[in-house]
Amino acid sequence: MKNKPAAVIATFILCFLVWILFTLTFTAQELIAGAIVSLLVALFTSSYFIHEDAFHLLKPNVFINFIIYVLFIFPVELWKANVDVAKRALSPKLPINPGIVKVPVDLKSEYGLAMLANSITLTPGTITMEIVEENGQNYYYIHWIDVASKNSKEAGDMIKGKLENWIRRIWK
Amino acid sequence: MIVRIIIDLFLILGCFFAFAGAVGLLRMPDSFTRMQSSTNIATFGVLWTVLGVAVYAFSNQNFVFGIKTVMIGIFIVLTSAVAGHAILKGGYKHGIRPENLVVDEYRRDNPNE
Repeated sequence: MKNKPAAVIATFILCFLVWILFTLTFTAQELIAGAIVSLLVALFTSSYFIHEDAFHLLKPNVFINFIIYVLFIFPVELWKANVDVAKRALSPKLPINPGIVKVPVDLKSEYGLAMLANSITLTPGTITMEIVEENGQNYYYIHWIDVASKNSKEAGDMIKGKLENWIRRIWK
Repeated sequence: MIVRIIIDLFLILGCFFAFAGAVGLLRMPDSFTRMQSSTNIATFGVLWTVLGVAVYAFSNQNFVFGIKTVMIGIFIVLTSAVAGHAILKGGYKHGIRPENLVVDEYRRDNPNE
């Protein structure tokens, strides 16, 4: 695979930033060692890590939406789902109703699909099993602890909630 | 004093969700629902605790400690999502079947797996 310069630079910046945040010692020795390791990692992994526009996330409107999603929209959903599953686990009757449903998703970008799938996995009560593409439409298979609807469209609206619209603002 | 109370509140919340997740882990009937319950621990059980520690570190002007704590929180959230998905999929491929499913559309579409 060929390395694109923009992809290598973006991966390098991400690796170096994480290195600095983890060490937090600004001596020349540490910074140079970090830069060399980051560069090596970037050269080897950038072609797997970045398939689309390398600096897409740094566009101002995309970045603002991303921050709003991570700090406000997602935590609210996380709170609701966590309280719900905690209640189910602690209630004497154990009211669970598990099933695997297939849900359509209207996202095209790989990153968008991965981000929504991971958001769904992180909210307790739903875990994404598989992403498949059929006739240009993407589907998730989701293990759901309380199947409230067997209709795939309705189930999709209940599981994804507001998350999908916000992710579409970030990744198309 | 106020800061101390806020930190304790965060830690208690973290403990509560970890406790609920552990109870679920013991009570749920099959592996797949047990996974769901363990997500409770990996998200809020960890996040509230990490938040409490971060508030403690920042209120003591220990910024290195604080930033590292926040980074640990971010990494646990990023990795536990991928790990949860991989464990569930691996379990299913290995032949572990969930019990009493209301509906199993994955089975319907991939009968041979």
